[in-house]
Amino acid sequence: MLTSVILNTLLAAGLYAAMAYGLAIIYGVMRIINLAHAGLMMLGAYVAFALFSRFALDPFVGLVVVAPLFFLIGVVLYVAIGKRIAGVGSTPSIESLLVLFGVWLVMQNLAYVIWTGDTQSILTGYTMKSIEVFGVRLGIPSVLVFAASALSLVVLNVILKRTYLGKAIRAVTQNRDAALLSGVNADRISAIAFGLGSAFAGIAGAMLATLMAFTPDFGRSFLLKAFCIIVLGGMESVTGVAVGALVLAALENGLAAYTSVSTSLQDAVSFALLFIALVAFPQGLPGLFARFERRTAAR
Amino acid sequence: MTLLALFALTAPLFLERGALNDLWNLAFAVILASAWNLLGGFAGQVSLGYSAFLGIGAYTTVLLSLQNVDPFLTLPLGALLAAIFSVVIGLPAFRLRGPYFTIATIGVGEAVRVWASTVEFTGGSSGLRMPAESFHFNANYFAMIGLAVVTVAIAAWVKRSAFGIALDAIKQDIDAAEAVGINSTRFKLGAHALSAALVAIAGGLYAINFQYISPASVFDFRLSLSIVLMPIIGGLGTIAGPIFGALIVSTLQIKLLAIPALRDSFLFVYGGLLIVVMLFEPQGFVGVGRRLGRLAHVR
Repeated sequence: MLTSVILNTLLAAGLYAAMAYGLAIIYGVMRIINLAHAGLMMLGAYVAFALFSRFALDPFVGLVVVAPLFFLIGVVLYVAIGKRIAGVGSTPSIESLLVLFGVWLVMQNLAYVIWTGDTQSILTGYTMKSIEVFGVRLGIPSVLVFAASALSLVVLNVILKRTYLGKAIRAVTQNRDAALLSGVNADRISAIAFGLGSAFAGIAGAMLATLMAFTPDFGRSFLLKAFCIIVLGGMESVTGVAVGALVLAALENGLAAYTSVSTSLQDAVSFALLFIALVAFPQGLPGLFARFERRTAAR
Repeated sequence: MTLLALFALTAPLFLERGALNDLWNLAFAVILASAWNLLGGFAGQVSLGYSAFLGIGAYTTVLLSLQNVDPFLTLPLGALLAAIFSVVIGLPAFRLRGPYFTIATIGVGEAVRVWASTVEFTGGSSGLRMPAESFHFNANYFAMIGLAVVTVAIAAWVKRSAFGIALDAIKQDIDAAEAVGINSTRFKLGAHALSAALVAIAGGLYAINFQYISPASVFDFRLSLSIVLMPIIGGLGTIAGPIFGALIVSTLQIKLLAIPALRDSFLFVYGGLLIVVMLFEPQGFVGVGRRLGRLAHVR
């Protein structure tokens, strides 16, 4: 029982981290809460579906198409809209939130027009198959999703830590003005960050499509989960996102395994956690730990 | 404004049922928009969770009517319950500022919807029906029009009172408002409770008129969305703005979107309006009117 909970938590956390990271990077660089993230995830699912049904492209191979495509979409979004609404100072503006909300609605409608409101799903040869790890049966799609998420997060981490671009992104995240002063082109970095964030949304959506059925309405509950994760993680660090994803996944899997909370109520639990996290520890879990450390150090 | 109210009150004498239904819808929209504007417009706290209050009002009315209570007598209780809920949510949530508050309200609204569709007393996903003999269109019509007039009057009164000035101070600069001795949380809670109560009464009337409600209809996220959209399109924080917005949105819904070819494009319309208004004229139609007025004045 415990091994199964742990393994399922890990698998879910991988996906959650990939899903939340796109939101965190845009927030970090631009101080924008990207509500269109949900729309991008939904479009990612549909693009994977289109590639699969038209060209018989395996959804995981399709990620190679989805990632650059959504990077481009993100850059276009930045140039058309993101640029005009970048937050000033440290708090995001309510206008930017509402504009991106509008973008999300337009995307939803686009999906309704192109793919109708019917429930779709991607059924591959291995959708129903599973493998046994430590005596626990795990669905092959969820294992593949975990592998792809982990791979993309590792790639991202290498970019952020080892390249000039990554340093510039981190510099803008820490202090935009100081980065500008030391010669970083913050506008270009913002465009790239928006592209990266959108690419992650597209990847997450495409992967979600291999796990569950979807409609153009799909994405809202995952957007809220992604928020929950970045709030828990303290909004901008990669490690924070990973920790937040683990906490949320552990809570969901734990509840499902050890309590009689019905699966349909699980979403409500993570929404409530979002609320509690926002209110009780606005600096996220890292902030909470820092507070505890200060308290013990004071003694 | 007075003329409009007089027209609506005497309309049953000379208009037919279809037109009266449109007026009923308009009054409903005016109540939701003006009530939301008390908190969202006057105090600048954008909440995307108002369907929760509408749902509480609607369910209070239906559940008590099924116990043979006169439906109209249930309205004050629904208002009271919604006001209490608004305080329970507001106490923690008002510690959050700007977009963080907005995200938290999405979380609350969605958690309530998910919870309501799993518990039994709401009728689950199949919903509940009012007792058959409870339908009186005329009584409901006058109640809705009356409530719309009262809501607009309350908004006009609040805007002029010390209460409204305090809300405006909170909107402009919450720290400065606190510094001059305004207890911002108490004022925000007051505005939240007042608007929640008004929305809940409208929800009760909605239930009496449609005779059937379900969590998917009264706790719908789209409802929260259109409640927010109306004051934004019309002009945040003004008296006339929400009325304009209600007029535009309900006309769009009734006339334009009744055309079969356009039925599926309401998200385009909503999203597009949101993007255009927020990017180009955050003051909405009232702002456009003011600009035109200034132009005329210059000449």
